[in-house]
Amino acid sequence: MAKVTDEQRTYYTIPIGPTHPSLKEPLQFSFDLEGERVVDVEIKPGWNHRGVEVLGMKRNPLQTLYLAERICGICSVSHLIAFSRAVENALGIPVPPRAEYIRVIIAELERIHSHILWAGVAAHELGFDTLLHLTWRVREQVMDILELLTGNRVNYALVTIGGVRRDITREQEPLVRQALRYYKDLLEMLVDAFLHDPTIELRTRDVGVLSYKDALELMAVGPTARASGVKKDIRVDQPYLAYPALEVSPITPDLFRPEIHGDVYDKIIVRLLEVEQSIGLIEQALKKMPEGEIGHASKEEMTELLVQIKEREGEGIGRHEAPRGELFHYIRFQADSEIPILWKVKCPTYSNLMSYRPMFQGAQIADIPIIIACIDPCIACMDRVIIRREGREEVWTAEQLLAKSWEKTRRLKG
Amino acid sequence: MELFWGSVVILFGGVILGLIYQGVDRKLAARMQARIGPPLVQPFRDIKKLLVKENIVPENAIPWIYNGAPFLALAAVVTVLFYLPLGDQRPLFSGYGDLILVLYLLALPAVALAIGGFASGSPYAVIGAQREIVMMMSYELPLAAAIVALAWRLDRALPGGIAAFSLKEIAANPIWAYLGPLGFIGAILLVGVLLLVMPAELSKIPFDIAEAETELAGGVTVEYSGRNLALLRLADAVKTVVMGALILALFFPYRLGGILGLAGPAGGAVDTIFFLIKLFLVILIAVTIIRVAAARLKVSQVAYSFWVPLTGVALAGLVLIVLDGLFFM
Amino acid sequence: MILAQIIEQLFKRPATNKFPVKYMPKSIISFLKSGKPIVPPVPTPPRFRGRLIYHRDKCVGCEQCGRVCPANVIQFVPQEKKVRFYLARCTFCGQCTDICPADAIEMSSEFLLADYNKYSKNLVLE
Repeated sequence: MAKVTDEQRTYYTIPIGPTHPSLKEPLQFSFDLEGERVVDVEIKPGWNHRGVEVLGMKRNPLQTLYLAERICGICSVSHLIAFSRAVENALGIPVPPRAEYIRVIIAELERIHSHILWAGVAAHELGFDTLLHLTWRVREQVMDILELLTGNRVNYALVTIGGVRRDITREQEPLVRQALRYYKDLLEMLVDAFLHDPTIELRTRDVGVLSYKDALELMAVGPTARASGVKKDIRVDQPYLAYPALEVSPITPDLFRPEIHGDVYDKIIVRLLEVEQSIGLIEQALKKMPEGEIGHASKEEMTELLVQIKEREGEGIGRHEAPRGELFHYIRFQADSEIPILWKVKCPTYSNLMSYRPMFQGAQIADIPIIIACIDPCIACMDRVIIRREGREEVWTAEQLLAKSWEKTRRLKG
Repeated sequence: MELFWGSVVILFGGVILGLIYQGVDRKLAARMQARIGPPLVQPFRDIKKLLVKENIVPENAIPWIYNGAPFLALAAVVTVLFYLPLGDQRPLFSGYGDLILVLYLLALPAVALAIGGFASGSPYAVIGAQREIVMMMSYELPLAAAIVALAWRLDRALPGGIAAFSLKEIAANPIWAYLGPLGFIGAILLVGVLLLVMPAELSKIPFDIAEAETELAGGVTVEYSGRNLALLRLADAVKTVVMGALILALFFPYRLGGILGLAGPAGGAVDTIFFLIKLFLVILIAVTIIRVAAARLKVSQVAYSFWVPLTGVALAGLVLIVLDGLFFM
Repeated sequence: MILAQIIEQLFKRPATNKFPVKYMPKSIISFLKSGKPIVPPVPTPPRFRGRLIYHRDKCVGCEQCGRVCPANVIQFVPQEKKVRFYLARCTFCGQCTDICPADAIEMSSEFLLADYNKYSKNLVLE
């Protein structure tokens, strides 16, 4: 416990992380404390970097697909959709409409499971383990449906470049509808258990407040931004897949209570309402889904795809509204090589990380776990490292980092 | 000699009873959360395993305080057990101390835990220890108010000359028989207060802020391991029995054997079983159900809720009982 | 209210599937040797992607499966013009079954693949 002396006051520093029960993945915080009150926070990522991007630049995109899926275990299909959209954009590969609808259905099912999982984690951080067990128990239903549709429980391996690999058959549709009805009935109970529980209200109201201005300036994305009232949703702002044909609008907490506070309670509201929205979207998609091709599913088509990837060149981006916010993939191909020369991933947690600082201002120690959890951080997705020369201790200044990033941008431009 | 054997029986009996109730509590909590839960003997296995594990003393700890605190906690909590009426038994040390002593002894484990936390030299433990002290200051007032009210009323109701704070007398004369309507309401309020003080005293959710797994990674106990942790766990288990038995002795000291008119060994057996059932019900309500149905509160919220609303309720109960004593004699 | 729900749940069956047994046996080896029945796992849906099945006789040795495998599971054995699967690495994406021109690779619904040794007979498919 080191003492940090400010001009007049003495602050205590406590470290949280890289391993700590409130962190599900390694990330280091060091808090300056005045009694139980947080004065300032420093965030140090870099404990969980796996070099996925470099791996992806050593193999062909069909192999990278399911590597991209494993960047994140929760929003795996989001990475898959963003990656395949990037490759499709780069190489000009068309996607049949039915495949786009199937992608939407899987993405929204994933949003349901991710938000319910987050609700359980948040309850656990508050010490409310009953809700953790309850939410994770009801989450099984959507996992079962995903397993039924794709054959896998977690990393579904369903989306491929230029389509999807499995169709939703007539027999499966009623089962999906049944699961949606289950969640519709359940939602009322979840809203009651989370939003009307006195202890949860005590712990989350006016905790971790991110103002509208901060959310805009710090470029927060996804539910974190929407809970502060920023109407930001890639599905609406830049429609893709089958979203233009579906009714979708950004969810903000004023749909549930009159004012927007931007606190943790608002973030729970947004996520629970998004579960409801996702149910509606899947129902619409099931209704409007056209018949037809689903894309590169047969052997000939797959072999053909490999040839196309080798012949064509180009660069492309893929964006997707993952459960945690905007996900962005960039990829660049050269002619006569099936291996991309560049692949870059920017995931929602990377954008949301900066919003920790205003949220921690004036919080208590007891608020730390729930504030860490409230942006639904996925450290494995966002981790960054700087490789240093062996044996040389150096601290990078902001200017040096800026120069580094310019250098990288120039390299990306080619 | 009788005292010696009695204390040996109570020491081991209390520990075993505490661990069994802990197993029951864990099992029932698991069932409420739709889990299977650990087998009933799991607390015994945990203790056994902790006892064979290495006892690590951190580098910046103060060893003698750090190692002494768990012993102090367990010793204090077992000593309370000697003063409480259990089953059909009169309190073992009935002639040597009264409720006031029990009140002070109950504060001792928390103090020991806090001292151990401060001595373990970890920032988490220090924060946990600070919180433990705040908690103690919060729940002492409602607890004391409840006990004083009861003793005063009993002193007034019974013919002069008895020791009002003697647990033996309180247990022998159930309070409800002497209360008028106002006092009855007051006593109900006090039971409610004590049922909320109990989880705070035992550091259970929503008042487990001194240990707070997700915030402080175990708080005061974060550095403890091996034998020391086993002792702390035992103290915790015995404390559950102590708090339950205290509430029973104050408010529900009825003996089924006495009511049925049984005497001798048969009456003793019936009394003991009845006592165990009563204890189970108190623990179910005050520990298991509350901890399953609530989120952890913040230290400021705990302090507020004990100092303002709960103390208010306790004082209201006290005033009602005093009024009852003055006007409904 | 959550309180009503937990009291109700107290009298219901737990949601946990007791696979493979309710509590851990004293000795796992003697439990396995005793041949007592285990509680079955949750059933898998049709078209589940489980352990690979390799029809060696059908394989034409075209190496296409190795080109699409994301996890380098598949090793080509040039002497025999056949392939070898190291299942410990398999991620169950099923691309090799999709691309195989001779339908020599299939996926079963078996998923209990845990083993002490990643090169054990159970996990190397030839």
